[in-house]
Amino acid sequence: MKLYDQAQNLGIRVGSIQVIAFVLLAILGARLYYLQVVKGDYYSDKAENQRIRLIPIPAPRGAIFDRQGKLLVDSRPTYNITLSNEPIKKIDISDRIEDYARGLNVDRQYLIERINLIKKQPGFETMVLKENATIQDITWVAAHESEYPELRIELQPQRFYPLGKTLAHVLGYVGEISPKQLEKPEVIEKGFRPGDIVGKGGLEQYYDEFLRGKPGYRKVIVDSRGRVQSEIEVVQPQAGQDLVSTIDLDLQLAAEEQLANSSTKRGMIISMDPNNGEILVMASAPSFDPNSFVTRIATPEGRKEIAQYYTDKERPLLNRAIQGRYPPGSTWKIPESVAALQQGAITTKSNSIVCGGGIQVGNRFTRDTSGNHGTPNLPSAITHSCDGYYYRLALKMGVQGLVKMVETFDYDKRSGIDLPNEKISQTPKSWMPIVVKNEGKWNDIRTVFAAIGQDTVVVTPIAMIRAVSSVGVQGKMFVPHLLKEFKAIGAIGEEGEANYVPPRQSFGFQHPEPKIIEMTPEQNKMVLEGMWGVVNNGGTAGRFKNPNFEIAGKTGTAQVSEIGSGGAKDHAWFVSFAPAYKPEIAVIGLIENSGFGASNAAPAVIGVYNAYLLKNHSDLLGGQQMAKK
Amino acid sequence: MVAILEKRNLRDFDWLTALLAVAIVSFGVWQIYNAQPTESYWSKQITGLFIALVALTVIAATDYRRVIDAAPIFYGLSLVLLLLVLTPLGVKVNGQQAWLKLPIIGQFQPSEFVKIPTILMLAKYFGARKLGSLKLREILTGALILAAPVGLILLEPDAGQAMTYFPLLAVVLFLSAIKVRYVLLTIVAGLIFMPLAYYVGVETGKIKGYQQERIKVILDPESADPRGYGYHTVQSMITVGKGGLSGIKGDTETSQSVLKFLPEPHTDFIFAVTAENTGFIGCISLLLAYAMLLSRLIAGARQAPDRAGMLVIMAIVGSLTFQIFINVGMALGFLPVIGVPLPLMSAGLSAVLSTFIAIGFVISVKMRRFVN
Repeated sequence: MKLYDQAQNLGIRVGSIQVIAFVLLAILGARLYYLQVVKGDYYSDKAENQRIRLIPIPAPRGAIFDRQGKLLVDSRPTYNITLSNEPIKKIDISDRIEDYARGLNVDRQYLIERINLIKKQPGFETMVLKENATIQDITWVAAHESEYPELRIELQPQRFYPLGKTLAHVLGYVGEISPKQLEKPEVIEKGFRPGDIVGKGGLEQYYDEFLRGKPGYRKVIVDSRGRVQSEIEVVQPQAGQDLVSTIDLDLQLAAEEQLANSSTKRGMIISMDPNNGEILVMASAPSFDPNSFVTRIATPEGRKEIAQYYTDKERPLLNRAIQGRYPPGSTWKIPESVAALQQGAITTKSNSIVCGGGIQVGNRFTRDTSGNHGTPNLPSAITHSCDGYYYRLALKMGVQGLVKMVETFDYDKRSGIDLPNEKISQTPKSWMPIVVKNEGKWNDIRTVFAAIGQDTVVVTPIAMIRAVSSVGVQGKMFVPHLLKEFKAIGAIGEEGEANYVPPRQSFGFQHPEPKIIEMTPEQNKMVLEGMWGVVNNGGTAGRFKNPNFEIAGKTGTAQVSEIGSGGAKDHAWFVSFAPAYKPEIAVIGLIENSGFGASNAAPAVIGVYNAYLLKNHSDLLGGQQMAKK
Repeated sequence: MVAILEKRNLRDFDWLTALLAVAIVSFGVWQIYNAQPTESYWSKQITGLFIALVALTVIAATDYRRVIDAAPIFYGLSLVLLLLVLTPLGVKVNGQQAWLKLPIIGQFQPSEFVKIPTILMLAKYFGARKLGSLKLREILTGALILAAPVGLILLEPDAGQAMTYFPLLAVVLFLSAIKVRYVLLTIVAGLIFMPLAYYVGVETGKIKGYQQERIKVILDPESADPRGYGYHTVQSMITVGKGGLSGIKGDTETSQSVLKFLPEPHTDFIFAVTAENTGFIGCISLLLAYAMLLSRLIAGARQAPDRAGMLVIMAIVGSLTFQIFINVGMALGFLPVIGVPLPLMSAGLSAVLSTFIAIGFVISVKMRRFVN
């Protein structure tokens, strides 16, 4: 063919074009092999990751009830506006903050903090920007769906404390797990993730594991804009277990009313069933509103409110019943009497000691604050709160005797109540090494002061009621507790399925064996007689006598500052149980810096007894007590 | 249609080439359906295939030499069409005024068709020349023939489509005895000037930000902004890779195109859809089919009765090869995103029709190989 002119190499030129074409196709083939065969799994995963999304379904937290089934804490459905990390991973959204703040009506500073947090912690998949979203917020987010695909609307059951400040210290509150907590290995092990809601303080914290449910999830396919196209799988959440507490809400409200009406409005009241340690009342004043920490944490006002709780000098967040430590004053004489009998410092036969209106130790005379009582026997010394008697008794027991007493009545331990952050009392046992180190020896004057619950003695009210109420029940000292029962919860799914969540059984408080305070019936009777006399035989709280319902108790007026120094007034105590010889209920009250125990703490405690009688034995209510209330 | 072909013509008709083209388009229809199952692009493509087949038959039956003789008229007419596109008669899609809407005919993309008159014009000019090395005047004339349509297409602006015109001239010059040293010189100059031109373009702002992004993502797709201009490339690579050895096998509801992760799945990224649905096996088969088609065309060029016929076929070969390489290279993430359709696969009547017309020419040339 004439076309194939040798001079032009046409055949070779056409051939080279063919070769070039084939080489180009071969390059495509090689690249194809690399992408599809070599890296096929990698891209498959990438494709799956971008189309499959797990949307958590939050599990409702268990509710908390009082012993009669009255609702104390609940969860209610609310909508949260959340920020999803996925769409904003690689972009700077700081210019959107202004828009978010305006659109959602959220504090700008708060938004910046939140966004910094999500950017710093890759573990965050979503971050709540606003809880309790309003219809306006939801509409705004929906309207800006394509502009801000990172904003989502999520249903979230939110903790709600319908009683507000009532019982706040016992219930505690919930909040997002803190970054600090998340650093602990045991917390990570349990699968906690940033943004998880956990109990903080009170029963919410102590029983968090059981109150908390197991969240479910929806596995969905989304399109490139994150819109859900279809659902692959749904695993329902398992709700948390409902907690029935030992609290009696009626008595609790009565106690809180007493504290609110007290002279300083600072103090606490505990009521316990001395026969098993069930706590009926635990009131601490001033109190706080747990809702502040839950619903208002994102609002500027709410955050100010919370900051105030922390800086308030009256310490509303302190649960005085288990965290407050006060000199017990004369209430200390009850365990001291039992210990003296146990240790043989006095006997049921020989127990009269001279009062002397006080005692001379070295060159210092320490007065009996209520005068000279002659030579009383033990019941009389209790009934009239004779300091002189106990000064001499304590010297007879020696400081070692007092230390032994501390050990006998567990004043060197926590009570074991099912609440977090309980404090341990301080006693001569804990102070002795320090005093000896600083002063060279333990001076007798300290024993004298310790005899009437001063100086080296500061105790928690829970330790005090536990010790004193044991006198009413033949020396049985129970572990106080707030859990009556956790309700059972059903399983999720069928057994054997991959997503099966087993049912949770109902269970009550696991009672440890009560500690037995060794004493003979005669010894027990003798101390009881003195306590009975305090109210029923012209004792320090004689004006609260109700012949239908005899209370055994002990007043205490604990000195806070040097007498005559013009400092803060004394703490007023009253610790008691009733009926005296077959107690159903024990009540302890403390009003801070209010003065005499009999005139400040005792009326508050009587108020709780009256509420108890009104509810359970209204026929036994005495007219006189009603008047006092 | 077949009736207009004489008996001898019928025997010489290149059935295999036509069949290959039809097979590829049919395979493409399936992939267009995979890409957009809820839209009617696939059925429109079937209609387009029939129209294109008619055109192919008519062109094949026509004596290409007479058509080449009339090349200046066609060439002139196509320049008029390209000018019309820029008038208010043109239709703007995605910021490009590349379509023309005419009564009866409807809407079409002249830049797809103008390639053929340009090829014919080049073939006429260079086919008529005598032996001996190419002169500078001849090269410049060829460049001018190309410059007119390319210039008008750049005004639309459709840089991708304009690029596909350059292989036409390159092939024609190469086969018109241009000195090998010029070829080598051009390649060397290209290797030097391309990076330089890119640098100058970036510095002077002629290369726009999004165009830079598209080039950067090729070099490092993993760190590209997944929502920016690198998005198309990243998603296309995911789509291709996901197909694996044999494709996703019917799991079409969660395909990259159905979930809208892959943009333009039925046109520019049809190859990614093919890769996802049919895997490495399907894609290699498609590339082999292209290779066979190109081989058939080149074989035809070798048998061409005259220089002009040979140039027509080889220019078409060059154009097809270039488009396949650019489009698939883009889908495989090693070439920047340029809006060039994949010949015979991408949805679009204009593209299928113009490719079939080109193949019709090839068949016409081959049918007349024994005439002289």
